[in-house]
Amino acid sequence: MRARKLSHEKDKLTAQAKTTQIGVRKETRRDFVKEVTKMPGGEKILECIQCGSCAGGCPSMFAMDYSPMQIIKMINLGMKKEVLSSSTIWVCSLCYTCATRCPRNVDFPTLMMSLRNKAIREKLVKDSTKSNFHKYFFEIVNKYGRMHTPELIVKLLDITDLHSLLHNARLGLRLFKIGKLHLRATKIETSWVSSIREKTDQEEIQ
Amino acid sequence: MAKDYDDSTKTICKVLDIELVEIPDWNCCGAIDAVYSFKPLYSIALAARNLAIAEKMQMDLVTPCSACYFTLKRTNKILREDTETKSKVNEALANLGFNYNGSLRIRHLADILLSDIVLQKIKEKVKIQLTNLNIASYYGCYLVRPPEICNFDDPEHPTRLEELVETLGASKVDYYGKTRCCGASLGLTDEELALKMSKDILLSAKNSGANCLATACHLCHFNLDARQKDIESRFDIKINLPVLYFTQLVGLAFGIEPKQLGLQRNWQS
Repeated sequence: MRARKLSHEKDKLTAQAKTTQIGVRKETRRDFVKEVTKMPGGEKILECIQCGSCAGGCPSMFAMDYSPMQIIKMINLGMKKEVLSSSTIWVCSLCYTCATRCPRNVDFPTLMMSLRNKAIREKLVKDSTKSNFHKYFFEIVNKYGRMHTPELIVKLLDITDLHSLLHNARLGLRLFKIGKLHLRATKIETSWVSSIREKTDQEEIQ
Repeated sequence: MAKDYDDSTKTICKVLDIELVEIPDWNCCGAIDAVYSFKPLYSIALAARNLAIAEKMQMDLVTPCSACYFTLKRTNKILREDTETKSKVNEALANLGFNYNGSLRIRHLADILLSDIVLQKIKEKVKIQLTNLNIASYYGCYLVRPPEICNFDDPEHPTRLEELVETLGASKVDYYGKTRCCGASLGLTDEELALKMSKDILLSAKNSGANCLATACHLCHFNLDARQKDIESRFDIKINLPVLYFTQLVGLAFGIEPKQLGLQRNWQS
């Protein structure tokens, strides 16, 4: 008796058939799903039952192009480009309301962090201000060992946006008036930074 | 930016005979995803450096910042459960003469203040009952979520901070926004969004009768206090709700001078 070919085996054959001329196997939608299930936060995405508890409690959903529930569905459908170039993964405030309520224990916020990392590496970031935040934060921490928020805000400023410049200048003045604007950063001894960086220079979330 | 939280914490702990030993040359924990999304393994090592130093000091690690509380606790969990990451991180820390074994206990300052012994002491040291204050306790996100990491209180209906509020003689206020997100780092990368999220919290507290909001995180404080003027002008409303740190309220009840609690750094108060 011959065993029936299972669907994933058929897919494998189809995928193998979709090779480019130089023989490199083309990435399939299923590849993306598999990749995400291996990321931190992605372990349970295939178990999502699309109940909507995440979207229902999400405080930043009003600013997302796809709701948390939709993003999980899209990942499960292998829609890599749409997911990685969405605003959702950047606008999520990582409040963990969804993860607390999810009946399937999908760790959505951690998944967002992993997808941010992936989007940066694949250069699919929708709003560069959001991804620059991480880059500048990283640079400032390496410089001082601690954060220096005024410098971070200045780095994030769009010098072509006069309205925003004025607005932030007003905020700066307010903070200065109440003694909250520390122009000098607190720096600690940071020789350990390069030493740790050498040993942990891993771009990918594993 | 958080000097007022720092001042008030140190001042009240002195009165309560709680000895705080600052971790020498502590570094930034990585702030949840700020470094993690960009360089994940490095961010774990960053936080682990603090854990390793604290472990050597053989004391519990206490932090007043909810974001650090989450980041450090998450790092602790990863290093305890993922042996591969633990060895990679310890390899990186070895060059600095550190090694983290996973024995550290990490607590939020609020947890210390609400422990039986300390709460009793607070009760004894209260000189001024804050009777005219209806305080809305704002838990924010990381004091109570995710529950398997941050377990200070119930994630949906927490009540422990209200206990502290009542110990100080004030009235507690129950309101919808007490565990809603203030917008966090969106306050820096996408101000509009954070303004809307913070507005919801402030109005929810105000409409439930609060005349004061108490918080335990300096980023929340920034979004709710320093940006309150922006919220008012953006949405054309008047809020006028003072936002204080819990430690400042405890200090006021102790009869400590507002200046020693950093209250001059509040915009709204």
